[in-house]
Amino acid sequence: MATLIIKNLHATVDGKEILKGVDLTIKQGETVALLGPNGHGKSTLLNVIIGHPRYLVTAGSIYFDEIDILSLSVDQRAKLGLFFAMQNPVEIPGVINSDFLRAAVNTHKEKPISTYNFYKILDQATKELKMPFDLATRSLNEGFSGGEKKRNEILQLLLLEPKIALLDEIDSGLDVDAMQTVADVIKKEQAKGMGFLVISHYARLFELIKPTRAVILINGKIVLDGDESLIRRIDQTGYEFIKTELGIDVEKDDANMNKVSIGSCGIKDMVR
Amino acid sequence: MKASFLHQELDLTNCSSIILDCQNVDKPKIIVEKGTHKYVLTTNFHSGCEMEIMIEEDGILHLSFLASENIDNSKITANLQNNAQLSAYFADFSLDKEKIDIVINLRGDNALAYWHLASLAANKDQKEFDVSIYHFGRNTSAISNNYGVCKDSSKLIFSGCSSINKGSHGSKTRQNAKIMVFDQNCDAIARPLLKIDEKDIEASHGAVVGKIPDEHLFYLTSRGLNEFEAKKLITFGYLKPIIRGFKEKDMQDQIINLIERRM
Repeated sequence: MATLIIKNLHATVDGKEILKGVDLTIKQGETVALLGPNGHGKSTLLNVIIGHPRYLVTAGSIYFDEIDILSLSVDQRAKLGLFFAMQNPVEIPGVINSDFLRAAVNTHKEKPISTYNFYKILDQATKELKMPFDLATRSLNEGFSGGEKKRNEILQLLLLEPKIALLDEIDSGLDVDAMQTVADVIKKEQAKGMGFLVISHYARLFELIKPTRAVILINGKIVLDGDESLIRRIDQTGYEFIKTELGIDVEKDDANMNKVSIGSCGIKDMVR
Repeated sequence: MKASFLHQELDLTNCSSIILDCQNVDKPKIIVEKGTHKYVLTTNFHSGCEMEIMIEEDGILHLSFLASENIDNSKITANLQNNAQLSAYFADFSLDKEKIDIVINLRGDNALAYWHLASLAANKDQKEFDVSIYHFGRNTSAISNNYGVCKDSSKLIFSGCSSINKGSHGSKTRQNAKIMVFDQNCDAIARPLLKIDEKDIEASHGAVVGKIPDEHLFYLTSRGLNEFEAKKLITFGYLKPIIRGFKEKDMQDQIINLIERRM
């Protein structure tokens, strides 16, 4: 069974330190709820685990399956059995979803999958997720609704069968029925032994998938590691008890508003 | 078999099909007679070749090109009469230095033109496509879509003018030019131009030259594709839509093979 071991992890983004000494261990077969206020490093942690180039690790280590993954590229980490379901999956115009899915499946196999077998597993997975099959024939995530994008992430999880999946707000954009469908898929994978590290701001998803543990990330550190009762407590009372009981001041999210570009028309000559 | 024509689907199933081999022809001519519908596949379009096209009243021409050799100093000129329609697909995997001029004259009222170019420049290729569309008739419409991939030390230029002339009121024109650059040493320029000399018209253009967005590469690599595989998939997505302009399965396969080989 693979284990993800994170020790004293420090990471910066655009020069600002976000992770300030994260210690966390997740075993394959566990489902860990990652909780914490906005802007304290939850998504950053997931991005750093998978190796997003924008995030710079300044100290600490991440081992997966006893391999130091910080020295590995993003695709090598994925091939080891890590999967990152993103909060905002990008749209890639022109890249046909099924072409991409098949290429991704093949990277995890020694011999390329046959067309027949690929469409068989794709058909099965789309049915399980109650997705229209034609989503597979459209450009990757382009024009997908928020819910369709999230289901497409879980579709990839089903096809790639990772050892540990990192889910970043996979429930946002899903209606009640779709959330139930996604939760059912996660439960099946839990039963098969897949591990999960899950970010969500809503107790509803956690009620459905029943995490084995819950951890709280505040000020760039894991400050509490406990059972799923933590989820209910935070859902009812918020993070105030962190200060009163643990004596930790919760830093305010002072991030600037997102910079917004309202389109442009003209020549962008980036390489001349 | 259907092909996209402006915002409609053009049914090619029952149209007469012609293969135009330009190997020993310097000035090939295509005439689509009044009210007829033709599909022409052009092969061996070569350096110095000057093609002339006339589409008579109510005629429809669907024209496909596959260029895999040098096509420097070549030219295509099309003239469309009343209610004539042209949809042209140009798959460019040619080599070396070249300058190609395309001129489409919408002379008659209600004439329509759709132009789609997919060009791959690699190694030390230097390519310039000048695609110009002139609106003379009333209520004429045109879309010019030009997609390019520029890698290694190559240079790729998309230029051309969409011109709405005096008297062509009610006309619509749209120019798109997009070039994806792969390497620091390549040079890509998209230079759209609109000339408007009439009221009551619609005209727009869009031009983008840029590298593959990092977030796209990250997304694909996070699923196990290495950077080369990810770039190849994106390039395919960028250039592959040109195959919908080719009726023949073997031509479609040939284009896919060319993209793969040139990558």
